[in-house]
Parts: sequence; C-alpha cells; structure tokens
Amino acid sequence: MSKYKTKRRLLLIGRILILAFFLFIVCLPIYWMLITSLKTTADINTLDIQYWPANPTFQNYENVLQQSNFIYYLKNSVVVSVVTGIIVLFVAITGGYGLSRYKYRGKGVTMLGFLVTQMIPMTLILVPMFLIFHSVNLGDTLTSLIILYVVINVPFCVITMQGFFANIPIAVEEAASIDGCSKFQVITKIVLPIMLPGIIAVFVFAFIGAWNDLLGGVMFINSELNKTLPVGLSSYVGQFSINWGEMCAGGMLALIPSALLFVMVQKYIVEGMTSGAVKG
Amino acid sequence: MNKKKKLEPHIFMTPSYLILLVFLGYPLLNCIRLAFSNYKITQLNNVTFAGFDNFLKIFQDKEIAMISLNTFKFVIFTLALQLVLGFILAMALKRPFRGRGIYQGIVFLPWAFSGFIVGLTFQWLFNAEYGPINDILLKFGLISEKISFLGSPKYALWTVIIALAWQGIPFFGIMILAALQSVDAGLVEAAVIDGANAFQRFWHVTIPCIKPTLIVTIMLRTIWIFNNADIIYIMTNGGPANTSHTLASYMFTKAYSTLDFGYASALGVLFMVGMIIYVCAFVKVTKYNQEDA
Repeated sequence: MSKYKTKRRLLLIGRILILAFFLFIVCLPIYWMLITSLKTTADINTLDIQYWPANPTFQNYENVLQQSNFIYYLKNSVVVSVVTGIIVLFVAITGGYGLSRYKYRGKGVTMLGFLVTQMIPMTLILVPMFLIFHSVNLGDTLTSLIILYVVINVPFCVITMQGFFANIPIAVEEAASIDGCSKFQVITKIVLPIMLPGIIAVFVFAFIGAWNDLLGGVMFINSELNKTLPVGLSSYVGQFSINWGEMCAGGMLALIPSALLFVMVQKYIVEGMTSGAVKG
Repeated sequence: MNKKKKLEPHIFMTPSYLILLVFLGYPLLNCIRLAFSNYKITQLNNVTFAGFDNFLKIFQDKEIAMISLNTFKFVIFTLALQLVLGFILAMALKRPFRGRGIYQGIVFLPWAFSGFIVGLTFQWLFNAEYGPINDILLKFGLISEKISFLGSPKYALWTVIIALAWQGIPFFGIMILAALQSVDAGLVEAAVIDGANAFQRFWHVTIPCIKPTLIVTIMLRTIWIFNNADIIYIMTNGGPANTSHTLASYMFTKAYSTLDFGYASALGVLFMVGMIIYVCAFVKVTKYNQEDA
C-alpha cells in the first residue's frame, strides 16, 4: 500500500514539474519582452543584464504612440482584420452549411480541395497576386491585403464551420420548416443563434490570421500610411541599430488584441480545430 | 421543385468556389506562366518567353543544395521538437486539475502570436551582447565567451528552429490532448483488468486510438513548417550568407529583394509539383475521403 502511495506521489510531482516547465518556457520570452519594454535605453544596453527593470518607465510606450506612425498601423490592422473576419464568416457560413447539409456529386473532391488549398504556401501566390493587383490598380491598398487574407483563411474556416453545423441535429431545421419557416428564416433565426460560439470562433480565427500576417503586407504595401502593425514595426528591424525598448513596447501593444481575443474564445477555437481531425 | 432542391447546395457553395477560383486558381495559373518567362520587375520592357531557363537557373544555383538541406533540417527538427514537447504537454494536461482552464489559456497562447512577434522576441533573446541566453549560458559556465548566434553560419538556422518550435508546441498540445480525451475509457479499464501495466496500456491502447489524429496533424504540420518564411525573414533574413534560408524563405527573398519574379515563380512551380506528390501520399496514408464518400 505504501509503495503504491509513493509511486502516486512521484507521478504527481513529475506532473507538476512538467507543467511548471511548460509554463516557464512559454512565459520566459513574453516576460523578457515585457521587461525590456519597461526599461530605459541605458538599462537595456548594458552588459550587466537586468532581469528586473532597475528604473521602470513607460517612456517607450509613450514614444511609440506619439512619435511613430503606430496609430496608423493600428488603424489599418484593425480595418483589415475586421473586414477579413466578416467576409470569411459569410463565406464560411454558406460553404459550411452547404457541405454539412447536402449530399451532392463532387462533394468529396471539394473537401479534398479545401484541404489541399490549406497546404499552398502563401509565398507562392504573393508574386502573381502582386502583379494582378497592380494591373487592376489595387497595388499598395488595404483592399489587396483583405483579398489575400480572405483567400488564405477561407478553406480552413469553411471546413471548421462545416463541423459546427454537423453538430446541430437536422431535426431542429425540419421542425422549423414544418412550422412554416422559409429556408432563409430557418438558417438566420434558428440555426445561426445556436451556432454563435462557432461563429465567434471562426471570426476570431480569421481575425488573428489577418492580424498576424507579415509577408503579404511586406510584399504588397509600400506607403507608410497603409502599413499594418507587423509591416510597420518590421521596417525598423532591418535598420542599423534596433531600439529594442520601443520595439518591444510596440510588440506588446500589437500582441494585446489578438491574445485577448484568443483567450476569450480559446475553448471554441480548440473545438473547431480539433473537430475536423479527431473523429471521436 | 426537385430541380431547385438539386441546385441548393451549389448556391451555398458559390461564394467559396468563386473566391478560391478567382483569387487562388487564377494566380496559380499566372505563377506557371511567369515561371516560363523572363520576368524582372526592374526590366518590365524586356519580358520574354524563357522556356526552361528559370528552372535551369535553379538547378545551377550553387546555393540550392545547401538551402534544400537546410529545409530538410528545419522541417525535421522543428517537427520533432513540436511533436515530442506537444505530446508531453498533452499527457500532463489530460487529467483535470484546479486551474487547468487558466493554465491552458496561458500555455496555448503562443499559437496566437504572429511570426513577427515570435521572430523579434527570439532575435532579442539570442542577441549577442545584451541577450539573456548568452548571459545565462555564460553564468552557468556552459560557454566561455558570448556567441553571436544569429550571425554565425553554425547556429543561425538553429535559432530559427527553436523559435518556430516554441510557437508550434501549443498546436500539437491542443490536437493531441483532444485525441487523448476521445480515447474510450472502457478500453483502458479493460486493459487494466487484463493486467496490462501503464506502459502496455499506453503503447497498445492509447497510441493506436490516437494514431489517425496523430498522422493527420503531423502531415499538415510538416507542410506548414515547410511553408513558414516569416520567422526566418525577421530573425536572420536567411543570413549569414544564406545559411539559414529554407526554400520558402529563399523564394520570398528572390521575389521581394531581387525582384526576379520568373525565378521565384519557377521555384513555386516546383513547390506545386512537390505538393501534388505529397497530397497523394497524404490521401493514401490517412485514407482521407473514404469516410466522407
């Protein structure tokens, strides 16, 4: 009996150590960025490395917000991500509904097509898209970015949405249509409200995808006032010396919206991500 | 009436089909056309049909062999790190404990980070003078002098691998955890009654149950790691002397910096060929489509 008890205790300690290890690994880089953003330039550029800011200050945040185009980048990122999220949501709802509620010829090919399109590297379509956008006078615009992000996020979101629809019994719809609802009414008044968590998850997924993209923006956007957050901030990275305090402050600010959204709807995003692959 | 019913699914699918055909299919066709032309943004008056010239240039490019090897290392080691650590994380998270929700919220967070932020943070962590990694290694006596990780042909690729592995652990954790939780508890109990020890239960019950998820996750992840270019672009931009480039980041650099669209597109066409082969293998291995048909 006591042998069994020690074994259990050892297992518990091992488990706590593992969990602590991962917490440490995840938090260390974030912590380092956070304290750098709160240090003075002198405290950053010292060989006596400080693991706690000696003279904590918000100066870096003030500089970023007041002396750079950060506010423009932020506005562009918000516009691009919200519009992308809305368009993707519309496409995912219609496509997901079609895939989950009907059997038709070519459905298997369509599913495979959505899977394959998720594997296409973004770098592959950047060059032809760049030329196409320039030929229709959409070069260097937020519209071009929105189109790119919609295309990239649609395949995954349609599949995910299809999974959410499949969870709703078709009997719910049948009952409503017997009561005299049209197809449109059935979907908007009965099905979509039940699916609210899924809808939010898909929106957030597309939002984060657009919010986080770097290379599409680097390739498509030239003018300073059309840059999104990662593009705008990254243009300071290549320069001779990086002002790490301000970079980290900008990075932290850029991180907040997507991190908050993720934490809020994490449960549903996880559900959406796993429902496709795990057949439980 | 019947005809209308038959049309219904296609009406619902139209937006997705349209978007993918116009904004993905058409650019891909253009990519193929560009691959066979002499297309440099710097010489727009001089766009000509080039035949297989761009492809020949790729095979004669002295850097390609090294970059292909880098790509191989990059994919294998990043994947291995993500898979092993993600698996351990999922195992530790399997049984509920107080505060698990909050713990998951924090530990899964890197998944929502942009490549830009991850790249930036790790570049700063590995900084040659003021970075904490050098400082800690030095204080523990593991190195005798500070190392310029990002500036050294020996280490640059590894810093990128570590950064991307860090970002991808949560994804594996999420997928494997979900698979573990879907394992039928009755099967495990039956194994206990039959006298199986913990290791046997794990190897003969758990692993076979989660195998399908594992394979799908690994295969999808492999290609996503292959495609990843933003972390490399931010951390090293392929340097020093292309030693930390992978095929994907090299292609981006060729297009963005040298503006040789023909060459980049030819690389892209080779990607497509590789992908088609990979997808065929994927369908075969995962038996994708069989359940849906």
